Amino acid sequence: MKRVLIVDDAATVRMYHRGVLESRGFAVEEALNGIEALEKALETPFDLLLVDVNMPRLDGLGFLKEMRRQQIPQPPAIMVSTEAAARDEMAACHAGANCYLVKPVRPLQLLAHARLMLGEANQ
Amino acid sequence: MNPLLEQFLSESRDFSQGISEKLMQMEGAPSDQGLINELFRLVHTLKGNSGLFTFPEMTRVLHAGEDLLGLVRNGRIAYSQELADRLLDAIDLVMEMCADIEATERIDASRAGDSARMAESLRALIPEVPSEAPAPVAIHPGATPAGLPLLSEVPEAARKEALRQCRGGEALHWVCYAPVQDCFFQGDDPFFCARQTPGLLWGAAKPLQALPLLAELDTYRCLLQFHLLTSASREELSEYFRYVPDQVSIVPVNPQLLEPSVSAPPGNVQHHSAAADGFKGGAANSPDSPQAPAEDQDEASRERAAALDRILAAQEQILKLDDRPEWSGGRLQSVAAVLVNLARAAGDEVAISEIEAALAECLSSGQNALLLLWLETGREHLVARLSSPSASPAQVKHKPAAGPPNSSGEAAATEGAPAQSAASDGIKFGRRAEDNAPSPRSLKVDQAKIDRLMNLIGELVVSKNALPYLAQRAESQFGVRELSREIKGEYSVINRIVDEMQDAIMQVRMMAVSYIFQRFPRLVRDISRKLGKEVQLVLEGEQTEADKNIIESLADPLIHIVRNSLDHGLETPEVRRACGKRETGTLTIRAAQEADRVVIEIIDDGKGIDPAVIKQKAYEKGIIDEAALGRIDDREAVNLIFAAGLSTAAVVSDLSGRGVGMDVVRSAVEKINGTVVIDSELGRGTSIRISLPLSMAVTQVMVVESDGQLFGVPMDNVVETVRIAKGQLRTIKQTLAAVLRGRIVPLKSLNTLLGIPAAPRANSEHELAVLLVHAGGEVLGLLVDGFKETIGLIQKPLGGFLSGLTAYSGSALMGDGSVLMILNVREII
Repeated sequence: MKRVLIVDDAATVRMYHRGVLESRGFAVEEALNGIEALEKALETPFDLLLVDVNMPRLDGLGFLKEMRRQQIPQPPAIMVSTEAAARDEMAACHAGANCYLVKPVRPLQLLAHARLMLGEANQ
Repeated sequence: MNPLLEQFLSESRDFSQGISEKLMQMEGAPSDQGLINELFRLVHTLKGNSGLFTFPEMTRVLHAGEDLLGLVRNGRIAYSQELADRLLDAIDLVMEMCADIEATERIDASRAGDSARMAESLRALIPEVPSEAPAPVAIHPGATPAGLPLLSEVPEAARKEALRQCRGGEALHWVCYAPVQDCFFQGDDPFFCARQTPGLLWGAAKPLQALPLLAELDTYRCLLQFHLLTSASREELSEYFRYVPDQVSIVPVNPQLLEPSVSAPPGNVQHHSAAADGFKGGAANSPDSPQAPAEDQDEASRERAAALDRILAAQEQILKLDDRPEWSGGRLQSVAAVLVNLARAAGDEVAISEIEAALAECLSSGQNALLLLWLETGREHLVARLSSPSASPAQVKHKPAAGPPNSSGEAAATEGAPAQSAASDGIKFGRRAEDNAPSPRSLKVDQAKIDRLMNLIGELVVSKNALPYLAQRAESQFGVRELSREIKGEYSVINRIVDEMQDAIMQVRMMAVSYIFQRFPRLVRDISRKLGKEVQLVLEGEQTEADKNIIESLADPLIHIVRNSLDHGLETPEVRRACGKRETGTLTIRAAQEADRVVIEIIDDGKGIDPAVIKQKAYEKGIIDEAALGRIDDREAVNLIFAAGLSTAAVVSDLSGRGVGMDVVRSAVEKINGTVVIDSELGRGTSIRISLPLSMAVTQVMVVESDGQLFGVPMDNVVETVRIAKGQLRTIKQTLAAVLRGRIVPLKSLNTLLGIPAAPRANSEHELAVLLVHAGGEVLGLLVDGFKETIGLIQKPLGGFLSGLTAYSGSALMGDGSVLMILNVREII
């Protein structure tokens, strides 16, 4: 079973993403901010990260950068944000995100990207 | 309700509360950047959440709030009272919408108007862009269907394509998109947006006005407007530009205008064709490049040299900053990025590799020496190369596009800023131990679940009570004494565990009074501002806990008291000054636990209550008679304000201000077995003291018997139990009474009160059992047939048809499985 880490400070969003991913057999863990996410990522490796940009304490970009700085192997990362601006997308990709989705992410869109990131697009 | 929606509602309430709190805190510290950031984040996240559902009314309001706060955060708007007021109103509206959703799972249709008005009122605080650029239609006659002079600029290829599509049935539209100048701060990316326009056939970016000199150019303002020819429908375009409808004008294009007969001379078309290709192809085709006036070559090169000098000087300054060592990495990278871009613009490959080597060295050593050195030595060369009039025209033309002022500055910023934030994140991460502190390990549970657990434990208490009966039967009926003893032994174990369980569930139901206290800062602020009074609110003992039901039923009486204090207790600053008091009044709300009760005091230093006025009013209203008028002391007189009928209508202006009076407060408090007393000193202030039980879950009742039935009387009502000989009964004005310790106590038969025909039974010594109860400040004797034990039990309210029986406050299950009705003493007498 593929393990996904959802990093988002909004409980509603976490619950929503969790529901979508679990319905298709992903094992989901949650973190409320970048710091928590780093701790979880250090504990066990994940197959996919679903990371919010705007979070307290350590935001999504900071989290990905910190992973890189600490040389923690980074799985594919989907960045989600309410900002549709291109420069946010660019910043996310610079920080190490593999893909950038604008909230609200529709369930099919999320699943399609998750599969794509995991190289399961054709299964 | 769908759990996601429930989660959304619960989180929305938390966020709304947080937003209100932050706004209040900001009144004290309007420029606290941390607070503003946090506030922005809360509104932003709430908006994001609402986007998961179809609640456009809510999203619209929050979006406007987010935009507004975004500008506050960037320092473009100053925080103001008015801004806080409107945001608080907006949050109130959001809360109301949440209530709608909770009730019906959707937002009431009537909210759409409110939501639009609220968003409008928030946006009204966003200052208009200083309008050098008037409305898009006005500036460009090209946007009107008649003119479309720019149509002549459309290159041949795009025309042909347009005509082809037009014959295929597509409508052609001309879009003029004039972004507001500070659009970058609103998160817009106009260039990207324009290029992604659906059905785009051709487009051009034009400066709004003659562009200022490079040195004066503010790169953070958008000075361009876009002209786009597209084959998309009007609906599609309106949808695409829905966030900037006021900045866009869309006009249909008559395809005949595109026919070759009306086209411009070929040369012109050719020229613009190149521009269009550039635009569609993605290179940032800077608008000023084609217009660069050739005759000002010298002037321009001097200007460039000066600008370059400033850029380089700024880099040097940046390098020399040493206030935050953890940022130096970011600074080095930012400076290097700027230099590399300059060198690239100058076509100086050697310089690029020099700079990169210097950067690597600086980053690894943490010193800035090498880059500084490069700046000193390489500077002259770079400036000479870039600003020299002998530089090839291609280079000069190329420069503004890929060179320093625009794109490289931006690149430096994007490279630099994240690097800085990464560095500071690193520091933050290093302080993890303290960071861990503020995340309480708490669990949110639906109240229904707790209530169910509570009921189950209640039933367990009852079924456990059956064990002693069983033990007794084992012994008396079956004669197995050994078994009986074992059952009793087990019973005592179960008893202890159940007691602990009961205690534990009570703890779960405990809530801090801060739940109600937290709304007071806002309430006090709003009311005192409305009344023009200055009030300092002091909250104490917010962590004091009591049962959830108690806390919840306390909210309304407390709010009422606080309103009263603000309305009638505290004086206006002028009056206070005249009395020699501090202009700012103090309102203290204090909670504390005293033994098994929670005491809440509301103290103001206002004008107090005049006992003489109260006495007079009470006498006029017939609440006290003439004798009492002379007898009662000031303290008792002040407490008369709790009497029903006093603080209504006629005395409104003196005491309450609204139709409801303090008697409402008293009955609400008494309903949860509390008491309320008032103390007031004329001219010095008033203090109201509410005392409440910690928990309502377990009620102590005294069981009494009457006509063969058992009834429960809450111990809070019981004064004492006495037996009175039949001969001592007196009849005063058709009422039975007896003299007890020198006081006349009226007596009433419980049977009569409950409509039971039987007379009270006396015991063998001709004595009647009298239960002295107090209710509504009076003591009264209830004639019953006999007293039983006092027990603690879990009272359940009467449901369904029985809920209309006001004589009973509830029922409870007894250990033997029978039902005990609990009397509502205040009601029956």
